[in-house]
Amino acid sequence: MSEHKESAISEHPSPGQPASETADDVTHFGFRNVPKNQKASQVADVFHSVASKYDLMNDLMSMGIHRLWKRFTIELSGVRKGHQVLDIAGGTGDLTMKFSDLVGPTGRVVLADINASMLEVGRGRLVDRGYAGNIEYVQADAEHLPFPDNNFNAVSIAFGLRNVTDKDQALRDMARVLKPGGKLMVLEFSKPTNPLLSKAYDAYSFSALPLMGQLIAGDSSSYKYLAESIRMHPDQDTLKGMMESAGLVNCKYFNMTGGVVALHVGIKP
Amino acid sequence: MFPGPTLMSAMTAILERGLNRALDLDPAGRQALMSALTGPVQFTVDAPLDLTLALLPGENRIQVVGQPPEDRALELGGRPMAFAALAMGDGQVFSEGRIRVLGDMAVAHQFQRAIDQLNPDWEAAMAEYIGDVPAHFLGQRLRGAVKWSREAFRSLNANVEEYIHEESRSLPGRRELEATFEDIDQLSLRVERLDARIRQAEPATDNTGPESL
Repeated sequence: MSEHKESAISEHPSPGQPASETADDVTHFGFRNVPKNQKASQVADVFHSVASKYDLMNDLMSMGIHRLWKRFTIELSGVRKGHQVLDIAGGTGDLTMKFSDLVGPTGRVVLADINASMLEVGRGRLVDRGYAGNIEYVQADAEHLPFPDNNFNAVSIAFGLRNVTDKDQALRDMARVLKPGGKLMVLEFSKPTNPLLSKAYDAYSFSALPLMGQLIAGDSSSYKYLAESIRMHPDQDTLKGMMESAGLVNCKYFNMTGGVVALHVGIKP
Repeated sequence: MFPGPTLMSAMTAILERGLNRALDLDPAGRQALMSALTGPVQFTVDAPLDLTLALLPGENRIQVVGQPPEDRALELGGRPMAFAALAMGDGQVFSEGRIRVLGDMAVAHQFQRAIDQLNPDWEAAMAEYIGDVPAHFLGQRLRGAVKWSREAFRSLNANVEEYIHEESRSLPGRRELEATFEDIDQLSLRVERLDARIRQAEPATDNTGPESL
């Protein structure tokens, strides 16, 4: 990962003053600007590095609350027996596991992730727990999903959209593979609504997260990227607008834990 | 809005875990409840918190969610105390209108019966952690405490009732009240009869009046 970072175009604005994108072929990687064609590989390196400790780190960093955020996503999905569900950036399969229970043997869940390491950890974990038969594993890029149009009743992407290079293209492609009436759910870090919480959250993100990353996963830079990428991610209303631009209707969002995380939901007309 | 999605998810997770653990300890009760849950059942708690909870039947587990299901088989609405009474096996909650029912009333009664019949074997669950003998000892003590509490509550109720009716005379006793109601009914009946007789007599008076003039 560090090799890619060194080769990237580098700007170092101070925290809280993210770099602005100045050219069409440049995008952000945390607080730095990198060529668009390098972001995917750099994000991939981050996840190759953290895959084995991903679940443990999630539990530690969120103090277990990420399970409640995911639970709310499942509750709101309205997924039933026989449904076809796509879990993009499914990682270690938390949502896939629940979806698999809900769709039953007549339904199908596709766990898609661009990162082979994460997919491998996810597949191992699901198989170890006896989840098989209605789950497929696909290594896929969220911007170019290898599925036909109008194919899924629900599409979810949990803590993955901020790592995608072209978010608008990804949202358009997710809308494309949804059946009419199907639901897109985007669970992602967002902007805290309370200024005091925001300050505490900043302090926690930029000091505790890299330290935890270093101690547990032996990699502080990946968790520094996590904190930076969250700040660069569009806020609640911007993301809602992006979903509407992608052709979804009835778009709305639910702030969780004071806006630290938001669940955006949109329906394909 | 209170409770928010995170807190609500925590609450449904705890309820789901507790309910399914209780069903694990009572296979017959699980079967009765699963057959009563022909579809999702929604609970709408009115006050002091506006809450919506739903039970969704699964293959072997019951899922508890905080969102209204799209295709619910039954919706029950009311105050928290009414739901507590329902859980304690009070069959009057429907007939007294303390719980509103939207959907099939027979399903509501079947559901209430299934809840009432639930009898988890807590002693077996305790035995897994502390061994058979201590679990049985604790179980006996707990059962004794529950029995004593029920009898004490019943006795307290009877004593308070007796004091109010017989000693302070703040309220009339049931038999006294029933005798008064009986007298009122008799009086009402006699007044009605008298009224009917007067009505019967009135036309004759009216008819003879003009002719005599």
